[in-house]
This record gives sequence, C-alpha cells and structure tokens, in this order.
Amino acid sequence: MQSSASAALLSWTIDARGIALLLLVAFLYVRGWMRIRRLLRHTGDFDRLFAFLGGLAVLFLATESPLATFDSFFLSAHMAQHLLLMMVAPPLILWSDPVLPFLRGLPRSFVKEGLAPFLNWMPMRRIGRFATSPIPAWCMFAFSTIFWHLPKFYELALHSGFWHGAQHASFFWTGILFWWPVIQPGPGKLTWPRWMPIPYLLSADILNTALSAFFVFSGRLLYPTYEAVRASSLGAQDDQTLAGLIMWVPGSLIYLIPTFTFAMRIFSAPTVTAAPVRVPRRPRARPPSIRFLPRVRRVAQAVMLLIAIAVMMDGFFGPQVAPLNLAGVLPWIHWRAFSILALLVVGNLFCMACPFMLVRDVGRKLLPAKLRWPRPLRAKWLASGLIALYLWAYEAFALWNSPWLTAWIIAGYFLAAVLVDGLFRGATFCKYICPIGQFHFVSSLISPREVGVRKPAICRSCGTYDCIRGNERVRGCELYLFQPKKAGNLDCTFCLDCVSACPHDNVSLISIVPAQALIGDPYRSSIGRLSKRTDIVALALLIVFGAFVNAAGMVSPVLGWEHAFWGNMALFVVAGAIVCPALTVLLSAALNKFSSATLNVRDFARRSALALVPIGVAMWAAHLLYHLATSFDTAWPAAQRAATGSITSMSMMSSPVWLTPAQILLLDAGLLLTLYVVWRVARQYSGKIATAAALVAPWAVLSGALYATGIWILFQPMQMRGMLH
Amino acid sequence: MLLLAGILFADGGTLQFQKRAGPLDISLFSSPVPLRAGHADFSVMVQRAADRSPVQDASVNLHLKKSDPENVVEIVVPATHAKATNKLLYASNVSLPSAGTWRTDIEVKTDGTTTSVSGQLTVLPPQAPAENYWGYFALVPFVILLFVFNRWLKRRQRFTYPRARP
Repeated sequence: MQSSASAALLSWTIDARGIALLLLVAFLYVRGWMRIRRLLRHTGDFDRLFAFLGGLAVLFLATESPLATFDSFFLSAHMAQHLLLMMVAPPLILWSDPVLPFLRGLPRSFVKEGLAPFLNWMPMRRIGRFATSPIPAWCMFAFSTIFWHLPKFYELALHSGFWHGAQHASFFWTGILFWWPVIQPGPGKLTWPRWMPIPYLLSADILNTALSAFFVFSGRLLYPTYEAVRASSLGAQDDQTLAGLIMWVPGSLIYLIPTFTFAMRIFSAPTVTAAPVRVPRRPRARPPSIRFLPRVRRVAQAVMLLIAIAVMMDGFFGPQVAPLNLAGVLPWIHWRAFSILALLVVGNLFCMACPFMLVRDVGRKLLPAKLRWPRPLRAKWLASGLIALYLWAYEAFALWNSPWLTAWIIAGYFLAAVLVDGLFRGATFCKYICPIGQFHFVSSLISPREVGVRKPAICRSCGTYDCIRGNERVRGCELYLFQPKKAGNLDCTFCLDCVSACPHDNVSLISIVPAQALIGDPYRSSIGRLSKRTDIVALALLIVFGAFVNAAGMVSPVLGWEHAFWGNMALFVVAGAIVCPALTVLLSAALNKFSSATLNVRDFARRSALALVPIGVAMWAAHLLYHLATSFDTAWPAAQRAATGSITSMSMMSSPVWLTPAQILLLDAGLLLTLYVVWRVARQYSGKIATAAALVAPWAVLSGALYATGIWILFQPMQMRGMLH
Repeated sequence: MLLLAGILFADGGTLQFQKRAGPLDISLFSSPVPLRAGHADFSVMVQRAADRSPVQDASVNLHLKKSDPENVVEIVVPATHAKATNKLLYASNVSLPSAGTWRTDIEVKTDGTTTSVSGQLTVLPPQAPAENYWGYFALVPFVILLFVFNRWLKRRQRFTYPRARP
C-alpha cells in the first residue's frame, strides 16, 4: 500500500497528444535557434534557449503533472496550475524571443508560401500590434482573470472538458499578450516610456491582490463542486484559503520582482550592452549522421537477415498458429507498419536495411552477373503484376494467417534476388522486379528526405562522375541514378553508395518538402519524365487503390459481400485495384478534355494520377498503424515461444484512444497533400484560375471519394490480427 | 447516507453518485460525459466518512447489470489503482454493449469487511462517428479555406507590392 501523498505524486496525466505537441514546438524552436546561431555566428545566447525550454517544461508541469490530475479535486491545485499558465510559462517563452527562431525552424517554402501572405496582411498586422500594445493587453488579461473566476463560469469549466480547455487556453494566451509589452520580444520594439512597465505591473498586482484577498477573506465557499468531490481531510473552505494564498504570495512576487528590476534600471546609470561574440564562419560540414550511415547499413542488413532467417525457420518448423509464430507476427504487423512510418518520417529505410542485399552480394560472387536485363522488361509492368498477385494472394490464402506460406514467400524472395542479380548486371531485382521495393519507391515520393546533391555547382564542375560510375573503393549507383539529374526518391534504395563514392563530399541526405517530387516534372536520370511513364502511373495507382482493397478486405461488411457476391477473391482484387482505378482515371481524363481543348490530356492525367499517391500512402499508414497499435505486444509471446518453447503471457486486444484520431489525421493529411499537388500541377497547365479549378475538379472528387472510402473502412468492425480468436 | 448526484468533472469524468456505506463514503465517476454505449471509464473513490481521507488498500469490484425483457447483461470487473490516472481512485475500463439504464453495484473490501453501494446509470446510445470526430473531419475544409484565402492574399499582395524590376 502506498500513502495518499505518494499516490498523489504518481498521478501524472500523460497525454500523448499534448506531449507530442510540446516536443514538436521544442524541435522547431531548437532548429530555428541553431540556424540563427550559425547564421549570426553567436557563441552565446543559451539563456534564450533555456528560457524557452523552461517555459515548455512549465507548460508540461501545468498540463500533465498531478496538478492537472487534481485540478478538479482541489482549488489550490487548480490555482497553482493557473499561476504557471499565466505568470510563469508566458514570460519564459517570450524571454526566448520565439518569433524568429520559429520562422527559421519551419520549412522555408512553408514560411514563404504558406505563412508570409498572412503575416504581411495589413489587418493581421494591425490586430497583432493592437493586441500586444499595453492597454488592450492589460485589459484582456484582467478580463480573462476576472471572467473565469466568476463562480458561474468557473463551475462551467469544472463540468466540461471543452470549457476547461478554453479556460486554460485563454489564461495562457492572455498571459502571452500581457507579458509581451513588458519583455518586448522581437521583431519590432514598443515605444513607451521606460517607467511605464512599473504602473503596468503594479496595477496587475493590485487586481491579483484584490482577487486573492476575496478568496481568503470572503468567508463563503465560492465553488461548491470542490466540497462534493473533496478527496482529503482538507476542507473545501480551507482549500479555497490556500488557493487564495498561492495566488497572493507567489503571484505578487512574480509581478513585483520585474517591477523592482525596472525601477532599478531607471535609477541606475545606463549600461552598455556588450556586442555578441562572433566566431569566424566555418565551412558547413555534412550532417554528422550521414558519415556513419553507410557503415551502419551493413549492420542493419545483417540484423534484418538474422531476423528473416528466424522468421523463416519458425514459419517452416514452428506451430502453424499465426499469433504464436514469428512468421505470423513480425512481417505482417511490425515490419509493414514500421517501414511505412519510416517512409513518412525519414525515407526509404527498409530498402537501406534490406536483408536480401547481403545474400544477393554473395550470389554475385558465385554467378556471372554479366547479362543485360531484356529491354522490353525494363519497366514497372512486371513489378506491378507481382503486386497485384500479392494483393490477391494475401486475401485468397490469408497469408497473414499462414506462417508456412509466409516463410515460403521470404525464401522465394531470397532465391529470386540471388538468381536475378547473380545473372544480370546492376540492381535489376530492385529496379524492375521487387514488389516491396516498388512499394517503397512510390511511397517515398512523399518522404521528407532524399539522397541528393547539396551544391549543384560542384557537380557541374565534376569530371569523375563517381556517384554513378563508382571508383576502386566503392561502387556507384546500381540503379543508374545520376545524382545531378536525380529528382525525388523514385528508384532510390537509400544504399548510400553515391554518398561514399562522391569525391567532393557533395551527396547527402537532404530535407525536401514532402510530395515535391510529384509537383514538378523534370527529366529524371534513368526514369525520364513521369508524365511519359504509363508503367509508373499504373504501379502508383495499383498501390493507391490496393491500399483501400487491402484494408477493405478485413472489415466485416466487405467480407460478407466477398462471400455473397464476388465468389472468389481474384474478382474482388481485380475489380478494386485494377478496373476501378482504370475507369475512374479514364473518366477524370475525359472530363479534363472538356475543360481545356488545348490540354495534353495524357500527360496531365498521368501526373494527376500520380498525385493520388499521398492519399493512398495515408490509407496504408492508417491501416497498418491499426495493426501495430492493437497488436504491438504480440511480438513478445511469439519470440518467447520461439526461443524457449513456452509462453508466460498472451497479448490482450486493446485499441488505444489515440488510434482513431491518428488514423483520421493521416487520411486528412493525405487528402490535403493530394489536392495540393493536383492544384499545383493544374496551374502548370493553365494560367487561368477558373480553368485550373475545372481541371482539378474530377481529381478532387476522386480523391474525396477515396478519403470517404477510407473513413468508412476505419469505422467498420475490423479483424484483429496477431490475436487468438 | 449522503447522496450527491451532479455532473462534476473529475479524474474519471462525471460524478455519478456518492453514497455512504458504513464508515466509508464511496463515489463513482464515469467518462465519457455523457455516458454512452461503447468504451467507458469508471473510477471509484473510497474515503473514510469521518475525515474524508482516501482509503488506499481496498479491493473494489464493479457490477454492472442491465435487464431487458429479452435478456440480462451483467458485467463484473475489478477496479484498480493501476488503471487510474489519479492514483487515489480505483479505475476500470468497461465496454458497455447497449444504451439504457444500468444498475451499478460497487463492492468494497477493506479491513476484512465488505461494504457495497448501488445506484443507476443512464447510458445513451453511441455517438455517430461524424459527431464524435467532427473536429478531425472539419480540418480538411478548414485547411482548404485557409489555402484559398492564402492564394487570394498572395495574388492581392503581388499587385499591392510588385517586385522591383532589375
């Protein structure tokens, strides 16, 4: 048994969404702060960084600590929480001069294209100036403080999660406005007399003192709710007195200390601020992570190979019960989800750590590897056929439920990789055959990173072309991607051979805007123009529509229809993943023809069809995230059984509360990105907005229909996989 | 016996009822607010009636029962500190299969004695997804509107502040 005090201290409200938001904000600030520091060559300025992180830590304490858990039980806890939100976090955050670091921390194109029009909008600037000027800021702060402490509104916030959130948000944001004229973070400085902060802060302290005195001396219980839910021997009236004292003493100190500082500044001689210390600019080094990645790659491949062997062995010789077998759990639940999440967060990490590569390299030493891949097969048609075959086999043979078949598929993969790359030159297997590779190539078109050139000018003066030819130390790109002409991640396995080969240290993992590769249509090395590649478009459509077919195949209504109407799975897969995209794309293209007589419909349709990749990848991610979230801990019993022959516990079905919102957000992001890409492509074909809108319309309807289908699927009862039924 | 039924937002959501049983005050909180069929969290606070100090070493069980003319549904679940955010409470996650009036018995074992209180819960039908997640669905049209506004502003600013010609 634990005491009440220690139990209370353990009562943290850990909300994943709140923490994720705080981490994102911290990441953006630190990124921008580092960029500014590098740009201005400052050696110091750590106080601002610590102030910002301190402000976020205070916000974390206010919203996630036992203060938040007990705010509905004790007024004193609630008051301490409000104090942190209004009087501690805002000044710390403003002290860090947050505006500029944030703007530098965000992607430059987003700031330029997305934010700049709003920030330059005159009414917005006027509102900003007005809200941060002393009198309105003081009034809003005072109003917020008084309004939310009126019993009627305070009780409303106690009884409703929504109004409670609104109360906290208004405390924090009016706190930011109140402290703005006092701290005056950049850009722009307020011109008011030096003595003005003194009456500004003192008047706020008088208000604070009056309110807290009312809490202490009123003699009546202001908020009866606390009497009803009293969770300790401390009476509600005493709790109210304590809350008043918290507001009075620490609250007043927070106003009086800066008041005193301002007074001291006025009465003391002006001090000369030392100029920031600058250090000479150093040549910008390649990000440190990239240096060890080519070496790490081999280790990652070896680890993946060992896992693949374990999965195969268990699949062949272990019990044929999917949830208890590594082959029934790891490939279908964990590997698929982690590889697509890695694609969305970093890039094509699976191909980088592909276990088949090690075996293939051994095969090359035994076999000639001299033949050329036949010219008619140098396209994505074969790989598309294999993906269609996989989609069918997945449903028809319930691959996820058969460890034995899963093991055979992996073994077949090893054999195919060894034979193809052992007989043919280059990475033929990866480029033209591997369905997993094609899936990753297409999906990585929306990744935020790519292997690319840092400074194009260096490539223009390069005479060695080691990135594609290789040298005596390391081979060049086996997929024939010439770095200066490479755009996007298509056909890039992230092998990083080009990074190691480049004698100028000019190839690196660079940040890009997700889906940027879909907006332009430059000539791409070894690929050509996407607007001319029907095979790549067909592959992308198969992956996009396949996402919906694959997810639909596990929801109850569709399973019922499959048995009632389709008869066999092949028909369902062909209809959903081949006929449906073909018809809808042809229809959209036909409608485009009506919109613009001069339009090159084929090119536009190919590029618009590729724009559906984000919504398709979002559906894959939402679907696979479901399996990962509900069956994540299935790996442990399967591994335990494979290692020791027995299990101590079986995983229980659980669906975390964040799962459905996260899935919807993924689909939201996918739809918005698709619409944005289609719009940008349409604008390249038409200078007139009306014509561009007409061109976008059929594709917007198609992507909206896919989104609606995805949402419908998410809300259907789904089969749990990796679980014993 | 103290009876306080209100809608008080606490660790587990709403205070459904608070009753005295012997030397103990027992309160039941539930979420979501209002209570609906589907996943629900129940939290129980056990206090000594004399000084309202929380009892930390009790064993708490929840019995939920709904009787229809056709069938009877009964759910029995333990409530523990481990499942509670507020470690002074005992919590349990329950999946309520249907809407209607559910009879709730809370059984508390402490110091070798067993006490129980009972009350009734009104459970509403589950919310439609569109109602439940409207904010997430509204994000798409909201961002589209922002984008349209952004383009309009950009176009307008291009005419207002034309770029200097070289």
